[in-house]
Amino acid sequence: MTAEMGCEQVRELAPELALGIAEGEERDAALRHLDGCGGCRQLVSELSSVGDELLQLAPVHDPPAGFESRVLAGLTEPPRRRSIQPLTRRWQWLAIAAAAVVLAATLSAGSVLLATAGDRRLAASYQAVLSQGQGAYFVAAPLQGTRGRVGTVFGYQGQPSWVMVTLQSSIREEGRFQVQVVTRDGRYLSLGDAVLGGAKGTWGGQLPVDLSAVHELRFMGSDGRPTLTATFATANPWD
Amino acid sequence: MEVRSKQQSPRAAVPVGPLEAVGVAVVRKLSDESLLVGLGSGDPDAAADFVRRFQRRVFGLTFSILRDRAAAEEAAQESFLRAWRHASTYDPRRGTVAGWLLTIARNVSINMLPTRRFDPVDPELIVALEARRPHQDRIAAQVVDSELLREPLARLPGNQRRALVLAVFYGFTAREISELDGVPLGTVKTRIRSAMLKLRSQLRVSDDR
Repeated sequence: MTAEMGCEQVRELAPELALGIAEGEERDAALRHLDGCGGCRQLVSELSSVGDELLQLAPVHDPPAGFESRVLAGLTEPPRRRSIQPLTRRWQWLAIAAAAVVLAATLSAGSVLLATAGDRRLAASYQAVLSQGQGAYFVAAPLQGTRGRVGTVFGYQGQPSWVMVTLQSSIREEGRFQVQVVTRDGRYLSLGDAVLGGAKGTWGGQLPVDLSAVHELRFMGSDGRPTLTATFATANPWD
Repeated sequence: MEVRSKQQSPRAAVPVGPLEAVGVAVVRKLSDESLLVGLGSGDPDAAADFVRRFQRRVFGLTFSILRDRAAAEEAAQESFLRAWRHASTYDPRRGTVAGWLLTIARNVSINMLPTRRFDPVDPELIVALEARRPHQDRIAAQVVDSELLREPLARLPGNQRRALVLAVFYGFTAREISELDGVPLGTVKTRIRSAMLKLRSQLRVSDDR
């Protein structure tokens, strides 16, 4: 945790706070200060109004023909779950079990290559799990929040590919997120909604693309910005 | 939330005037807040009015950021969908409906910008495009507030205006602007702060009148 900020420091950072571009620990310290300082809150509020007004100076354009109808059609449907089916309860348990087995294998980094009986058994176990879903590999990545790691995302490359999120029990507040995949070629795919936190410690779903195409998994808050993210550093760690 | 707590139909929010009392149809323009309440409560007429009122501004903003009509339409649709889903979270004490909706549209658009392929357009283009334009679809009070900023924005030094536009419209952090433009982080922070404080003073002057 960074040192506490005084009014002078927070006022310096106020424009960036108001525009939502302040970063990291500096932002966290400033937000803690704002909790107890009405004067600084007022300044940030006034600067936020400037940001709102500036957005209204953007050029006005006619949308493509039929836009209004398409929007209204979308509003009459139940919330979208585009391109993904949530895992059933049975699949969730299978995913957790598979994650546990494979995590044990992957935690022994390099173990597959070592000529020991224990490691060979682990490798065999890993292969057995993968073969159940015609998979090639299994990966895990840290799920990061604004204040550090909050959980783990497991990714399974197979037919189909899927992801499973486990949250640390310390996340007590339940939140609703829109889940988004950023692919390695720069596309953004919606995975529908997820509820995480509190009693909801896991979430999982089938991917609309192969796991090797996934660069990042994002959980977006109600303001449309990523709240939790997990990055898969390489397409296939075993290549 | 004040607006939601009343739980009233947006239609019911319109007082009946003397002409309507004698059966004469009078076209009244509902407030943005009333339309948002109607949108959130599933009133199809209010939803249609809401989309009709804001679609040009929402699409204009998403197109300014994404510079691609198909992507801009997707972002604009997503923005209205989020407004519908999260209408109950709107707090009138924290800003106008237009500001709230355009902030959603901005954030949706920024999240659709692939960072590795992002080639920022000249941000001053936005200002140039806005030199003079009619505001047929804005209610008077909103025109006044944003219009008050147009001239002081144009008067800002170019480097301050660029930093501000990159931050406001494209969501660039000071660090990202620093890397993009090759200037020290402290300089970028100063530019953003100076620009914002000048514009704030302009709005405060108008409030004091």
